[in-house]
Amino acid sequence: MRFKADLRNIRTFSKLTAALNSLEKIAWLRLDDDTVRFTVIPATGSQVWASLSIDLIFENYTLQSADQNNTINLELPLGPLQRALKSALNSTQANLRLTKRDGVPMLSMTIHTMTKDTSNTSNHPNPNHDRFGGYGNNEPDFGEDFNQESLELTMKREREKVITQDIPVRVLHPNSVETIMQPKVREPDVHIQLPPLLQLKAISDRFTKLATTTTSSIRGTSNPKLELSANMHGSLRLRLATESLDIQSVWDNLENPELEEAQLAMPLNEHPSTKFKEAGPDKWATVRVDGKDWSRVLSVGRLEGRVIGCFADDHALILYVFVPHFDGSSAEDVVTYYVSSYCM
Amino acid sequence: MVLLNFTLSEEGVAVLHDALACIYKFSDDVCMEARKDKLTLTALNISKSAYVCFTFASNRFFSRYKFEGSAQYRERFFCQLYIRSLISVFRVRQGGDPTARDRDPTIERCDVAIDDGPGKKSRLVARIAYRNGITASHSLPFEVKAPTYAKFNKSEAGNRWAIASRTLRQLMDHFGPGIELLDINSDDEACIMNFTCFTEKVTKRGANSNEAVLKKPLHTNIAVDMEEFDDIQVQDKLHIIISVKDFRAILQHAQTTSGELSSCYSEPGRPMKLSYGGDGVLYEFILMTIGEKDASAQKHKSSRSAAQKATRPELEAASRRSSSVANANPNQAQAPPPAVTGDQQQAQDAFRKPSTQRTQIRSRQPRFEIRPSPMPPPATDRSESLFVNQADDDRLWEPVNPDADEEEDLDNGRLEWHTATGSEPPDFRISSFLPPQVEPQSAAPDRAPDEELPDRIPAGLEPTQRLSQVRRFGLFSP
Repeated sequence: MRFKADLRNIRTFSKLTAALNSLEKIAWLRLDDDTVRFTVIPATGSQVWASLSIDLIFENYTLQSADQNNTINLELPLGPLQRALKSALNSTQANLRLTKRDGVPMLSMTIHTMTKDTSNTSNHPNPNHDRFGGYGNNEPDFGEDFNQESLELTMKREREKVITQDIPVRVLHPNSVETIMQPKVREPDVHIQLPPLLQLKAISDRFTKLATTTTSSIRGTSNPKLELSANMHGSLRLRLATESLDIQSVWDNLENPELEEAQLAMPLNEHPSTKFKEAGPDKWATVRVDGKDWSRVLSVGRLEGRVIGCFADDHALILYVFVPHFDGSSAEDVVTYYVSSYCM
Repeated sequence: MVLLNFTLSEEGVAVLHDALACIYKFSDDVCMEARKDKLTLTALNISKSAYVCFTFASNRFFSRYKFEGSAQYRERFFCQLYIRSLISVFRVRQGGDPTARDRDPTIERCDVAIDDGPGKKSRLVARIAYRNGITASHSLPFEVKAPTYAKFNKSEAGNRWAIASRTLRQLMDHFGPGIELLDINSDDEACIMNFTCFTEKVTKRGANSNEAVLKKPLHTNIAVDMEEFDDIQVQDKLHIIISVKDFRAILQHAQTTSGELSSCYSEPGRPMKLSYGGDGVLYEFILMTIGEKDASAQKHKSSRSAAQKATRPELEAASRRSSSVANANPNQAQAPPPAVTGDQQQAQDAFRKPSTQRTQIRSRQPRFEIRPSPMPPPATDRSESLFVNQADDDRLWEPVNPDADEEEDLDNGRLEWHTATGSEPPDFRISSFLPPQVEPQSAAPDRAPDEELPDRIPAGLEPTQRLSQVRRFGLFSP
């Protein structure tokens, strides 16, 4: 069993890992000849299936497995992966390979990196200190500096450092994962491009907090639920209704993307979304989501991709997050979120 | 009478503050020792595995320095202080508008005097003059207590290296959370020094359980070309293991100085010295390294508590008794330690119980905490900050946590909301902070309504009892 690849688009990889990590600590990573797939299935909450083309995050990819389909299935802790990727962010070169250390399988990330030039910035902390001295402030943000100055590699003895980050993994037998299937959901009633997720998240989080403060007397029974609706006329509505308050935010002029008839299992004019469209802007498809879980889902906004929400009225919500490739091609990969939803 | 008197510039206050903040990561107390030519701050951590010694040259670091001495303290004066109160005294205020002098809250100068003697209160008095004309005086109690010295035999320490502290500090960023030990070792063939971070903790617990494998922290190794070091002379393949926490605390402070951090050590189980210099200041740390015996014992012992106890032999510290002897002959403290074999050393350590010191420190705390609340301890925040900082932007993506402190989160959220749409948040903030009006009536079961009442009762509340009824209780004068 062999796997080795150079890393590319580390920033994207890192953001994806962070987004998945907010839902569940351990992911199922499935590698085969064409795709790399991350799946997280929390005990409660939304699940994610991220099928990425290999060249989104890897290059010089080699994979060799005894399995007839040439696949490797791993259980992978996302926290350490995220930490390792952080190390690799400003690297000159980084690769990932499956190996063993003391008999324990590891995903070993080897990172070639430089530290910042130390000669001309050595006085840096002091001016900062004088102006903003005191707690918490006399500590320059090295993350920032690193980005800006990583090109100044002029110091005479500045050498490359080799960092090895070993992430513990567990190899899964194909039999143990073949029963895990991607959920099947009926054709959605409404599909709509969501507003910028940061905005949506800020408001959703506010609603969730309001819900917990206003229902403090029955606290602990369950997490607050938000009501999310969309129509085929460009509107998305976020609503919180409790005993004491009823608030909602509405976004208008959003896009309902056209469906491609060729990819549908039914004629377009029989598709539920057509019926919803004909029924006018007052015809909403609504689902209820868990406020905290929804917040974790929206964490995917850091990928900065287009997000399409597919609403099956009173049934399910699926988010398709399109991850753009940064190599100039128009290719996109899709991360699919099956948002856990609740009956009205 | 005044025994010691010195003045610090604004910069000096900042340096002193940083030094104290660093020591605070090792100990709650600091020993201050004053001589004619230098002021020394020392501290030993609770487990006696790390010792800090900062030396401030009297003629270079201070704008004025005068050690008077007395009959009792002719050569030197020493006392022990509670660091938290010192840190809050020497806090540097944020600079305001430099053009408006009367509003500039930065420090102009700081005079410190130590007053002690028969019939006098033992006090350290710090008088801080701010540029806006305000002068603040702080008077701190202290305990007269001789400092402890950790022994380090330089002639024995044949391995040494020096490297820019900022380079090392940046490398530390790559170490993840959950690790405890740092193994520094060399490979002459490849011409590299390895810094390896690992932990022994979880492996023991989860040897058979598969789940635990995935909970192991990152195992990180950083290979640095020997060319990057100065004055490097190390034995090939020698593994020296120290605590990551201590090393982080040191580098966190070392990076504020521009210089190099030098290190020298002999072999596992013997102390290692790390030092760097500032302007008129010498910062020295002596850390006990983990002996190979301990390390292997840790690996094989199944009992967790045993492993924890056996983490490290303590530093050989001159006891208080011997340091009072050192009072007469200060040089004795630096004398080489008696040659002890590893086994004897361990046996000694087993008998030396740090618990006495721990209880001492605990029991003393309440006395100091009566003082006006000092700054919140920065230690936890700061030690964590050695990890790669999460960009602020990243935090916005963290899931909502309604149970968390509302204030901060609201502020963050609000900022974004502003920039995103430019619209005014409709009184979210106020309404969420107002006490819910319905609550007292709706008789929340877990809260007695009376408790809340005093705050809300308007001034003109109707009396519920006649004065004559309560007079007999003697509450009111007739």
